Amino acid sequence: MKEYLTVALTKGRLVSDALSLLEKAGCAEKGIFDRNSRKLIFTDETHKMRFFLSKAQDVPTYVEAGAADLGVVGADTVLEEKRRVYEVLDLRFGACRMCVCGAPSAKKLLDARSIVRVATKYPAIAREYFYNERQQTVDIIKLNGSVELGPMVSLSDVIVDIVETGTTLKENGLEVLAEICPLSARLIVNQVSMQMETERIRSLIGRLKEQVEADD
Amino acid sequence: MKNDLLHTPDGVTDLFGEELKKRLAVQETILGVMREASYQDIKPPTFEYFDVFQKSVSATPARDLFKFFDKDGNTLVLRSDFTPQIARCVSSLFPGSVEGAVRVCYAGDVYLNASDLQGKRKQTTQTGLEFFGDASVSADAEVISLLIRTLLAAGLEELQVSIGHADFFRGICEESGLDREQEALIRTLIADRNYFAAEKQMFDLKIRDEYREMLLRISDFAGDPSQLKTAGKIAGNRKSLDAIARLSSVYEALAGSGLHRYVSFDLGMLSRYDYYTGVTFEAYTYGVGDAIAKGGRYDDLLGHFGKDAPATGFAITLDDLMTALARRGHV
Repeated sequence: MKEYLTVALTKGRLVSDALSLLEKAGCAEKGIFDRNSRKLIFTDETHKMRFFLSKAQDVPTYVEAGAADLGVVGADTVLEEKRRVYEVLDLRFGACRMCVCGAPSAKKLLDARSIVRVATKYPAIAREYFYNERQQTVDIIKLNGSVELGPMVSLSDVIVDIVETGTTLKENGLEVLAEICPLSARLIVNQVSMQMETERIRSLIGRLKEQVEADD
Repeated sequence: MKNDLLHTPDGVTDLFGEELKKRLAVQETILGVMREASYQDIKPPTFEYFDVFQKSVSATPARDLFKFFDKDGNTLVLRSDFTPQIARCVSSLFPGSVEGAVRVCYAGDVYLNASDLQGKRKQTTQTGLEFFGDASVSADAEVISLLIRTLLAAGLEELQVSIGHADFFRGICEESGLDREQEALIRTLIADRNYFAAEKQMFDLKIRDEYREMLLRISDFAGDPSQLKTAGKIAGNRKSLDAIARLSSVYEALAGSGLHRYVSFDLGMLSRYDYYTGVTFEAYTYGVGDAIAKGGRYDDLLGHFGKDAPATGFAITLDDLMTALARRGHV
């Protein structure tokens, strides 16, 4: 048996929700994460757990390789990275939608099935949606941030991106043209850990599931 | 002097000296155990016609195969997996019906055109065996016990072999009236343990509540043989019950040789591919992120090569086994 179960948490907006869920479910000690510390890994001796933060796209990488047994990451990253990990639980926080957005005039372009230029941070999701769901040929342009700029400076006709409240879109004269799928945070598990540490991981999933359902 | 020719392409590596010596010794040990159990060496070529690895036969998506052309314009592929190749090979070596059992073992490299920069190797060494012409419980038990014995002989101590059966899931799907396409969809989701997506999908497909519950509970049936009894109580169809009975018999056969302590059941261990037809299994250990060996029964595979014979076998990924041994400080 391993001494510690290692959990990779996504940096940013998901962290506080993830930690409070873990605490409430009795899977992590309160205040285990010290944000002022420069330590990279935090060890919880009571629960025999280790936690670290990483960039969203790296969480599935750590979990697939078994460097982390579990991970908390957005469904967008799971869909985009397509790693061989078990996606076991919808944690329900961090809820948002993956959408096709653009200026209202771009709607016509989209429906006319003309070749559309799509700017996105999520090329795999965009490709899957346009090719397999809409059966439409598109030019996909990969960007690394502020995707909303794409249609504004005519780099692209539309964008595929996460929409939370829609405020940024509205302020920039863009709107949701089509919804691709709803998103939220997911618990992912390494395949080998699931087999070798079945009892511990199952009881952890069970407690988190109860807490998620109680919070609802 | 700068020389651009000295490093290898992404995903392949040089092996040399002590490291290679240890690896070859482990490979010989494994093959030795198999030969002792009267498995004969077989060495198929490194590349084949594309059709040998086509979708219905191989577990490798076509885009992950290394492909090239011969002078007549035929598409050739580097092998990504020994099983379809050996099935072809045995079908041509033993035309007509397989009289009695054919046991073969092999070691060699497989090639996968995997993504760059993910820490994945494009060339790995596999060693394994295939057992044709015997559909019995004792054949299943023989292959699983050889997997355990080869891994133990190689020096692995902490080891778990998870055993499932393709028909338990299939039986429930058929009973619930799902067609093959819908079944494949649900199978992929459950293979990834993505139950909430599976649940939503089943709602959309309007599967009856009782079957939905059954399919969602499928991987609760994991652990010791008592789980098989519980699973037997909820499944009402012949196919699923036969699968459970089969697993129990395999377990009893393994208990005879004392190897059952390495065995755990997992009815939720489904392959993403509709390739296995009976008992399936995977071996796990600490220190690597994926199963170090996979195998199972694939009675329909030889049919693709115009032959009708039951078959079972497994392949060990030697690179992963060496990593596991090294991390445990045994090598």
